[in-house]
Parts: sequence; C-alpha cells; structure tokens
Amino acid sequence: MRLLAHGIGVVRDLPIPAVYFYVGASLVLVVSFVLLFALWRRPLLEERAKGQALPGWFGRLVLSGAVRIVLGLFSVLLFGLTLATALFGTTTSLLNFAPTFVYVIFWLGIPFLSVLFGNVWSVLSPWRAIADAIVWLLELRGREARPVLEWSDRWGRYPAAAALFAFVALELAKVSPDYPRTLAIATALYSYWALAGMAVYGRDAWTRGGEGFAVMFELLSRIAPFAAREGRIVLRWPFTGLAGDERTRGALLFVAVMLGSTSFDGFSRTIRWQDLTSQVRAHLADSSHRTVDLAVMGVNLVGLVLFIAAILATYLVAVAAAEKLGGIRRSLIPDFVLPLVPIAAAYMVAHYFTLAVIQGQFIVTLASDPFGRGWDLFGTADFAPNLALVSPQTVWYVQFGALVVGHVAGLAIAHDRAVVVFRDTRRSVEAQIPMLALMVLYTSAGLWLLSRG
Amino acid sequence: MNKILLVVAATVASIALVGCGSNDSESASTDTTTTDTTTTTTDTTTTTEAEKPTEVKVVVVNGSPQGGIVRQTVNKDDQVVLVVTSDVADEIHLHGYDKAKDVAAGGTIRLPFKATIPGRFEAELESRGVQIAEITVEP
Repeated sequence: MRLLAHGIGVVRDLPIPAVYFYVGASLVLVVSFVLLFALWRRPLLEERAKGQALPGWFGRLVLSGAVRIVLGLFSVLLFGLTLATALFGTTTSLLNFAPTFVYVIFWLGIPFLSVLFGNVWSVLSPWRAIADAIVWLLELRGREARPVLEWSDRWGRYPAAAALFAFVALELAKVSPDYPRTLAIATALYSYWALAGMAVYGRDAWTRGGEGFAVMFELLSRIAPFAAREGRIVLRWPFTGLAGDERTRGALLFVAVMLGSTSFDGFSRTIRWQDLTSQVRAHLADSSHRTVDLAVMGVNLVGLVLFIAAILATYLVAVAAAEKLGGIRRSLIPDFVLPLVPIAAAYMVAHYFTLAVIQGQFIVTLASDPFGRGWDLFGTADFAPNLALVSPQTVWYVQFGALVVGHVAGLAIAHDRAVVVFRDTRRSVEAQIPMLALMVLYTSAGLWLLSRG
Repeated sequence: MNKILLVVAATVASIALVGCGSNDSESASTDTTTTDTTTTTTDTTTTTEAEKPTEVKVVVVNGSPQGGIVRQTVNKDDQVVLVVTSDVADEIHLHGYDKAKDVAAGGTIRLPFKATIPGRFEAELESRGVQIAEITVEP
C-alpha cells in the first residue's frame, strides 16, 4: 500500500471551495491590520502566563510518582505492542496495529492532548519511562546514574530538529511509510536515538535538545491553559505560555521543520505533485522497483526540504525587515519564533483533522486484533468505522477555523513581543508590519493549499 | 482584558463571516447537482436504464496508468464502476471503499461500488504501490 500523503489514511479531504480562500485571506489581512492598531501597547502576555495556581492537592495528585509509574507502564506496554506488531504482525498495514497507532494515535493524538492539557509527553514518553526505570534500578543498587558526556548548549535544538526531520521524511517522502516492517526498523532506530541520547547526555538535556517528539510536544504544550510549575498545576490563558523569546539555538529550524513538513504534506496531495511523481514512475517504467521507489523518494525529499527552506527564508527576510524598520541592532531571530507555534498547530489541525477522525476509529478494531490474526480480544474486532462521519462542510469549517484562530493567536503573541522589543510605540507599529505580512502569508498559503485539488 | 476580548470577538466575527461565504458555495454546489440530475434523467428516460453506472476507465501500460493518473468526479450515491485493463498482473485496490480484485496480465477487471462516502479516493496497483486513479465523490 502506498499513500502519497501523511503516512496512512483512506479518505482524503475534498479541496475547500475557493471562496473560503478568498474570504479567509482577505479577512486575515483586514483583521490583522485592524488589530495591529487596536492592540495593547504594553506587554501583557508574560504577566498572564503566570496564571493562577490550582489547589495544592490537585498538583500533588497529577504530578505524583504513582501517576507517573502507572502512565509510564501503560506507555511502555503500548510501545512494546507497537514494536511487536510492526515486527511480527500482518504486513497489510491497515490490519496491523502499528501504522495506525504511530501515524494517527501517537502522532496526532499527543499534539492534541498537549495543546489541551499541557506537556503530557513528559509522563507519557515510553523512552523517558524506560530511562527513569533504569536510573531507579541503578540507584537501588547504590550506583549513581551520571551522564557520560556533557551536553553543550551550542547544539541547542539541532539534534531534535534532525530527529523530527527524519520522522517527517519517513512519513512524507518514503514510499510505503506504513509498511509494518519499515515502521519496526524506524521505531527501533528512534528508540536507540532517544535512549542512547539520554544515557550519554542525561535525561533532561536530551529531552530538551535531542528527542524530537519531546521538543515538539513541549512547544505545542505552551498553547495549553495548564502548566506544571514548582509542583503545582497553574491555570492560565491559552497561548500565553508562548510569550517571550526563544534563545535556544536551532529553535527556528525546529519550528520550520514543523511548519514546512505539514505544508508539504498538503502540497504533496495536490494534482500537480501527484502527476509529477506519477511521471517519474512512468519515465522509469523499465527500471527495477527499488530504483523507481528511490527516485520517487528523492523527489519527495527535495520537495520537503524546499518547503522547510521556504519557511526559513521568508522568516529571515521578515525579521531582517523588522530589524531595519525598528532600528534594532541585534538579531531579532529568537524573538518571533514562538508566534509561529500556533500557526504550526493550526496547520496540523487543518491537514490532519479528517485523518484523526476517520482513521482514528480503526484503532477500536485494531485493539482487538493488533497482529491481524483474526483475534477478538475485547470483542470490538467487528466494529465498522464510519468513513462518512464528518461531512465535507464540517471539515472545511474546522480547517478554516483552525487557521484563522492560529493566525490571530500568532499575531497577538508577535505583537506582545514587538512592544517589548521596540518599546517606542510609533516605531513598534511600523516594525511589526513585516511579521504581520509573514503571518498573513503563512495563513493564506495554508488556505491556498487546502483549496487545491 | 478588553483587548483580549477584542481578539476573541474578531476571531468569532471572521468565522461567522466565512459561514455566510460558505452558504454561497453550498448553494452553488446544489445548483450544479440539480443540473447534473436533470441531464441524467433525460438520458435515462430515453434509454430506460435507471441504474446506469458511471464508468471510470483506466488502462495500465508497463505498470503505470496510460495518460497519467485518471481523475474523475462523481456525485454521492452514484453507482460507479472502476474498470481497469492492465498489461501487468497485480491487485487493484480502491482505498476507502476498500474494494480489491486481482487482475491478470492483459486482463480487465471491474470494481463496482456505490459512492456513499464523500471525499477523494485513490486506486492503485497494490503490490507495485502505483497510483492509477483518483475518484472524487462530491457531497
């Protein structure tokens, strides 16, 4: 089975009608400029990010060791099941637990939970749980678990960006990314990366700089109205966790991989790209399977890299223009990275909503028969997923709504940062225009991609 | 606080506005559907074949679709038949509707189905992993 887009899936969205694009793009433009002049003149998001602490018992319960252990065990169990089904289950990917679990439940479910509830990955990561268990065992025997090498801050988030790129390349560029044995190899390799990294550089350092999923889910969790702070859970305005700058090196590249990959996913579904890969195949009709697949993968990889590069380039141009207009002598690159996070989240919702809702249902069947051997563990093997669960209109509303909300949130965060950076009010308005144009560009481009057939 | 309310209000207003926009597109799409149905009814009255299915024809040469990926749009609840003639042996698989049939080298197969699920669906040569058609089902 080969699917051009997002690793797995059986139903693809109808393109949103062009009117959504025109209305959306012009609205975003008008709303942006109106808000620019109407918005606050003094930074207020960082203040609000502090939030209000929920009762102490709640934090103690949610952050307790018992919850950690239970969730960790559950997660390690699922991880083991995924690896086992990928290795030994049926090779028909839709009848195997692993592809749907990896590409839908994990890859779409965890971002969703992170945006709603905060950094859930810190307790759900199977690799972290395994590392914690190993450290615990070592300490029980009276030995100390100490990192082998010292982490250097110069590496920032580059290793994590490389890890995320490897995953999206598998998902979007590889031919047959949902083939269970391919997933088995990928899961094993990534586990090695995650565990070896934690062993060498320490659990926390690697979670912040090397484990791609952890970095991505942590970034997304800053949108959430909940955060853990000093053993307590605080309630805050959504999106306020993204206030401030992001000085970790490689943060921009990381966010560019997030944005670039999702938009390439959309583009790779258009007629233009489908025909391109189809032509590549037709050209190489006499070559071996392997050659053709490698060629298609190469073409996809070039597309993916170009999209990431386009995000980077447009961001750098906008920042350079803002520096000039604002008369700022230092680099503003770290200052406007976080406003891109809501846009990345919006892209994910817009592109993956149908996949999550439709393909997600298959996990009910797969849970009963994970290896595709005709089992019925929970009596749900006969559950018939409803492929027409959401109407195209509903999908369009969700896609449109997500992009507009993401845009406005990104705009507000960028504005809040701008009044910190530029101080002088008149200048701050002018200097914001490049960033505003950048966001209008990303949102319109997102809508345009959705309106392509 | 007021400013935040303003942001929220602007967002809600923009979504509502698009709601109005989408009504246009919905009515436009219903228009096209009605014209389609009228043409079909004139067809059927002459031929008296009420259930004449829409055929989506694909010819596979050398393991890839002749003339590129075949694209066809049908309306929801249409009867559709995917007809594939292939010079290579493979399994033809229509995603979503999950219909599959083996085709022998030089053979032709027919995959009939009723278009009950709106969306875009790929048909492919399963073992080669080559897309041969895309059927769009309009709501």
